[in-house]
Amino acid sequence: MAVCSAYTTQSLHSTCSISTPAKTHLGFHQKQVVFYRRSSKRGGSGSSSGPCVITCSAGDSQTVVIGLAADSGCGKSTFMRRLTSVFGGAAEPPKGGNPDSNTLISDMTTVICLDDYHSLDRTGRKEKGVTALDPRANDFDLMYEQVKAIKSGVAVDKPIYNHVTGLLDPPELIKPPKILVIEGLHPMFDERVRDLLDFSIYLDISNEVKFAWKIQRDMAERGHSLESIRASIEARKPDFDAYIDPQKKYADAVIEVLPTQLIPDDNEGKVLRVRLIMKEGVKHFSPVYLFDEGSTISWIPCGRKLTCSYPGIKFHYGPDTYFGNEVSILEMDGQFDRLDELIYVESHLSNISTKFYGEVTQQMLKHADFPGSNNGTGLFQTIVGLKIRDLYEQITSSKTAAPLEATKA
Amino acid sequence: MATLFTLNLVTPRAIASLPDSTKGSPIRVPYLNQPWKRILSPLESRRMQVRAAPDRLSEKVEQSIKEAQEACSDDPASGECVAAWDEVEELSAAASHARDRLKDNDPLENYCQDNPETDECKTYDN
Repeated sequence: MAVCSAYTTQSLHSTCSISTPAKTHLGFHQKQVVFYRRSSKRGGSGSSSGPCVITCSAGDSQTVVIGLAADSGCGKSTFMRRLTSVFGGAAEPPKGGNPDSNTLISDMTTVICLDDYHSLDRTGRKEKGVTALDPRANDFDLMYEQVKAIKSGVAVDKPIYNHVTGLLDPPELIKPPKILVIEGLHPMFDERVRDLLDFSIYLDISNEVKFAWKIQRDMAERGHSLESIRASIEARKPDFDAYIDPQKKYADAVIEVLPTQLIPDDNEGKVLRVRLIMKEGVKHFSPVYLFDEGSTISWIPCGRKLTCSYPGIKFHYGPDTYFGNEVSILEMDGQFDRLDELIYVESHLSNISTKFYGEVTQQMLKHADFPGSNNGTGLFQTIVGLKIRDLYEQITSSKTAAPLEATKA
Repeated sequence: MATLFTLNLVTPRAIASLPDSTKGSPIRVPYLNQPWKRILSPLESRRMQVRAAPDRLSEKVEQSIKEAQEACSDDPASGECVAAWDEVEELSAAASHARDRLKDNDPLENYCQDNPETDECKTYDN
């Protein structure tokens, strides 16, 4: 929503000009439009007859930008659905637009898929022998320009990459939302885009788990076999290791998914060990901890108060370094079978930014049919969603506080 | 399972071609005695084609796998091979999303989202 106020300027009654966006003393970007009105020769006894200047400011230029990086088939869409649900409402594709649009819009959030910034379509990539993971197939300049524009409150015409046809479709209009989430393969690859992000997340899935998930996803398709799935993963691995994997050192939070250590020689990939690696010192983000911040603790909640079925649940928390950064790692191995296990665990975690007791459990139950709802992936995705809500509220309250201070000074 | 799939693929296309052939020609009613064999109207044939869209994606996935296997038989490390498998991955992801979208399409839920105050959609929480 924009706030417009009209001023009359009697001095400029002979020229008509449209000034470019300028920053006022309030710090908001404004678009100023000057209307020239022919002044009547009769009367004019003191009342204004010059042109009016109407200035409009985009009042919500407080768009918070979140980046989410992961390889294809790694749970980005599940994470997106959980995240938008934390803010309330369901995210849906834009009504009345291209049915193959990748964008999701809810009341508070808009999710943009970075595949829309492919510079080469499917045939173009085939000709050049390049994968979608390669930076040569993506237009980072356009990505930076548009994310910057949306962040400063200007609507953009974003291209659409149609995954069904493999072509670039005509653009769609994206209006600046309160929270913009950019998800895809390269949100943190380009340095300029990285600087625009208020918070960034990387989903790091280990090779064994990735293989198991892709089997689950693709075995229902005709034509796929174990060999074709394995060949597909192997062929993409060099590009993935070269271009996508290095992004994890820039992420503020990494959700790492590994095979479980509770079951020896498990290769089904049903029970998972999930690690939430949280960078220390990130503005507006305080890491989740268990019992005592900064200390190391191993915790098995199953015992006298709580009975768990095989293989049980095991937690670990402690400080560490990750690619040269100070981090805190919260780790969960095992799965939840019952509601009371989940609420018991939630009551012992600290700094989870819930608004009421049991909010994490409630969110997990709301989406009990999503994959990962009974293990650390769902739990940590929900917790990260709540941390993002907390981050958003901190940013918006600090931004509304700043102009008040400016007017006082 | 395979025969069921092929049946689905054959029938809509066969019926869909009928309206095209009758376009422009005088109105014929060949199935007056057999109303169950009526000619599908263009709207209905379009609807049947829409339902077959995920099958179209499935065919694309199958074809892309064959192409990738051919491209990689010459040189497994070449750009063409890698790009072909990347295409397989992209199409598999699109197919799985399409399958999820089909699963979520409950007509009652869709109606109630837009009209929550109607009798069928009212919820009583306390």
